[in-house]
Amino acid sequence: MLGTANATAEPLELALYARDAGVAEGHAVAVCWPATGAQLAAAVRVARAHGRPFVVRGSGTGLAGGATPLGDPVVIVTTRLDRILEVDARSRVAWVEPGVLNLDLSRAVRHLGLHYAPDPSSQQACTIGGNVGTNAGGPHCLAYGVTSAHVLAVEVVLPDGEVALLGGLAPDEPGYDLRGCFVGSEGTMGAATRIAVRLTPDPPEVATMLCAFASVEDAAATVSETIASGVLPAALEMMDAPITRAVEDFVGAGYPRDAQAVLLVEVDGLPAGVAEQAAQVEAIARAHGATAVRTAADEAERALLWKGRKSAFGAIARIAPDYYLHDAVVPRTRLVEVLGEIARIAAAHRLLVMNVFHAGDGNLHPLIVFDGREPGTWQRVRAAGTAILEACLDAGGVLTGEHGVGVEKRDLMPRLFGPDDLDAQARLRDAFDPDGAANPMKVLPRGSRCGELQRVPEGTWI
Amino acid sequence: MSGPLRLDPDGLVACVACGLCLPHCPTYRVTGREIASPRGRIAAMRAVEAGAAPADDAFVRAIDECIQCRGCEAACPSGVPFGHLVEATRAALGPVGPWWRRAAEAVALRLLAPRHTLLVAATWVLLAAQRLRLVPARLGLPRLRAASLRPLDLPAGGSPDAWLFPGCVMDAWMRDTHRAAARVIRATGAVVARPGAGADCCGALHLHTGRIALARRLAARVVRSMPGDAPVVVDSAGCGAVMKDYGRLLGTPEAGAFAARVHDFSEWLATRPPPPVARTGRTVVVQDPCHLRHVQRAHGAVRSVLRDAYEIVETDDDGLCCGAGGLYAATRPALASAVRDRKVAAIGRAAPGAVVASANPGCTMHLRAAGLDVRHPAELLAEVLDG
Ligand SMILES: Cc1cc2nc3c(=O)[nH]c(=O)nc-3n(C[C@H](O)[C@H](O)[C@H](O)COP(=O)(O)OP(=O)(O)OC[C@H]3O[C@@H](n4cnc5c(N)ncnc54)[C@H](O)[C@@H]3O)c2cc1C
Ligand code: SF4
Ligand code: SF4
Repeated sequence: MLGTANATAEPLELALYARDAGVAEGHAVAVCWPATGAQLAAAVRVARAHGRPFVVRGSGTGLAGGATPLGDPVVIVTTRLDRILEVDARSRVAWVEPGVLNLDLSRAVRHLGLHYAPDPSSQQACTIGGNVGTNAGGPHCLAYGVTSAHVLAVEVVLPDGEVALLGGLAPDEPGYDLRGCFVGSEGTMGAATRIAVRLTPDPPEVATMLCAFASVEDAAATVSETIASGVLPAALEMMDAPITRAVEDFVGAGYPRDAQAVLLVEVDGLPAGVAEQAAQVEAIARAHGATAVRTAADEAERALLWKGRKSAFGAIARIAPDYYLHDAVVPRTRLVEVLGEIARIAAAHRLLVMNVFHAGDGNLHPLIVFDGREPGTWQRVRAAGTAILEACLDAGGVLTGEHGVGVEKRDLMPRLFGPDDLDAQARLRDAFDPDGAANPMKVLPRGSRCGELQRVPEGTWI
Repeated sequence: MSGPLRLDPDGLVACVACGLCLPHCPTYRVTGREIASPRGRIAAMRAVEAGAAPADDAFVRAIDECIQCRGCEAACPSGVPFGHLVEATRAALGPVGPWWRRAAEAVALRLLAPRHTLLVAATWVLLAAQRLRLVPARLGLPRLRAASLRPLDLPAGGSPDAWLFPGCVMDAWMRDTHRAAARVIRATGAVVARPGAGADCCGALHLHTGRIALARRLAARVVRSMPGDAPVVVDSAGCGAVMKDYGRLLGTPEAGAFAARVHDFSEWLATRPPPPVARTGRTVVVQDPCHLRHVQRAHGAVRSVLRDAYEIVETDDDGLCCGAGGLYAATRPALASAVRDRKVAAIGRAAPGAVVASANPGCTMHLRAAGLDVRHPAELLAEVLDG
């Protein structure tokens, strides 16, 4: 049905699908690139008929190993399912195939004064299907909500090859919210083949500000005070000194190289409100010792400021070739304390850690930056990574804000959920996928089901 | 870790596999496959270099399908030197492809390109063959004109205010563009000359197909052909990009100093007092040649020099490659035309039927073969010079 040109078991091609943008590696027995939903469903059935599990994959920009093939599966890639099927500007809904790139969708509806609001920093490269898989967030999700709030309906190929429509366009669909269940299921409940997304009107006015600080504490205090003041910025992002310098080397957007921390703050809405809120944010920042506050003068400058923020993960390789990243969310009030703790842990393990994160909702992204070619480094990274996560969880945090659990965070799930919670989640998954054929060994650690032997699982790592 | 490909290890490990380059890669865009993407190509090079995978047919295809547009390099926040990695890999692999392709490349690159008189003579033969309808249209060759082939009215050598570098294929097939460039350069009050002996070819096509030694020899001759410190104006983006890289290619201070004098035509013009032009109100869609935008990063100048005379319209594809890629359109026609389809669609969305400005002969030929009306910025300006 797919044709030999669109499926392969060629060793080099398989090797290139062994991982995503995270660190965990697996092995696929075959890779295929369906061009229609029917072809995708057929691929699932063929895999199952040969006793193989399957992993659906978009662009492979996931950071948690969600698309890493474990259990010798067939990898089904959605990059050729890249059509925008229907745009209804009046009801602000678009039906898209899963391989449509996030930014391509926003571009395609720009002339209508609309955009797709969830904007992961990887938005130029990641797919809407992958966003649904991970329930992706992004800088502007602070005000607009994460992916789940923008997905109205999903057509899915279930793990047995059957097709089902979850959710619908009505404001309140009758019955259980299976759509909500599917969003964020990381490919463990089947593959989305068509997605109805909400489109958001462009705000009439936007102000983007870059605030520089002489200390991380000052920046963090500005974040807390801004939110407490009742201003709800559209985005509120923080970067520390090393990452600021690294991205400045790439974009040259005029980020201050001497600042210890910078905040990127965006407010939007009606012109009068925006001016007022921008003034309020600036006053708060100055009151907390901001050394400079700069407002983007036009769309080009605004785009450049954002390009800096959105290139942060990639730009770290200018400092060292490898990184390891967590995605924990901590209560905003404990940001300063947790950041201090992270710095202490890194120093104790003789590692460089950099911070770039969604400060507005306390979603940290501590990046450990290192050169894996140096002997012994990986062990130290591993130890520091675990310590950092423990510190976040001890501060009342949760494992992941947006990147998902995948394989990399899987074995930490028991730190967050008790046996009953894990059992309930496992039974929910079983309802969709009784044979464990969809993206096996992801999200839930072995032993999640009650009665299953409880032991410390041997995961990839963290 | 230096393995069979002898690649720069720091360049290779700089890739963190983030995937931000994927949408900027034309071959990934049309195939959707990792093996046709920058991230996949780098991972494949790494595997071969580390001895974990053989340099088999699949690997050769992965490298050979790369257009070397370097869109990935401009998009990569980690600063992966993709262009140099691919050039070095191709050099390590040697000539690739079926025998007829290797033979054709050898004739074109080893015999004709280094000997400009021979190339021009061959062009006359080709022109005659075209008149006799012996050249199949699917080869996508431009329709040659005898009038264009008459000698350039430019002194050779001397000490001009600016050199105009004619190059190999462009000077044989598109000499009218040089005429237009020379007119515009003169309109700014500058005295322009073409190089003395030795400037047969810049070596770009050789470098891109892994013939580094020959590229170096050609480059050294080009450097010697334009002495002094007058700027070297290049109206082919592909040539200009390589000539700006002569310092690295030849590794001598002399070559470095020469490279610093190299400017794209529009880039140079933008530094001069603007020549008087008539405002036409006509719409022009700017197509950024990859080696102008991603390598020279001088594409802004095209807009500033055309703005006084034309209404400029942009495409919405972030400068995605058109698929021309030097010899690529000839050696990989199927992929090249799939990539071109996207570009033609983007131009159609921007301004259907409008004139397209392109500062590179390869792109021009490739897009003309798809029926577009493509002109060099120099031609568009020469047309509207007052007086
Ligand atoms: C530089 C960089 C910045 C990033 N910034 C952010 C950020 O700001 N916010 C954020 O949330 N993430 C971010 N990420 C992580 C990543 O981009 C997101 O997780 C994104 O949603 C993954 O999309 P993808 O198309 O690459 O999916 P993949 O990586 O291919 O897959 C991700 C998961 O979704 C599943 N999946 C893919 N397609 C489907 C489908 N059709 N149906 C069902 N499941 C599917 C996969 O099985 C896998 O479990 C970033 C990553 C990078 C490299
Ligand atoms: S080449 Fe650069 S942009 Fe592409 S995956 Fe590697 S680091 Fe990311
Ligand atoms: S040079 Fe162009 S074709 Fe080659 S990998 Fe980079 S973006 Fe793709």
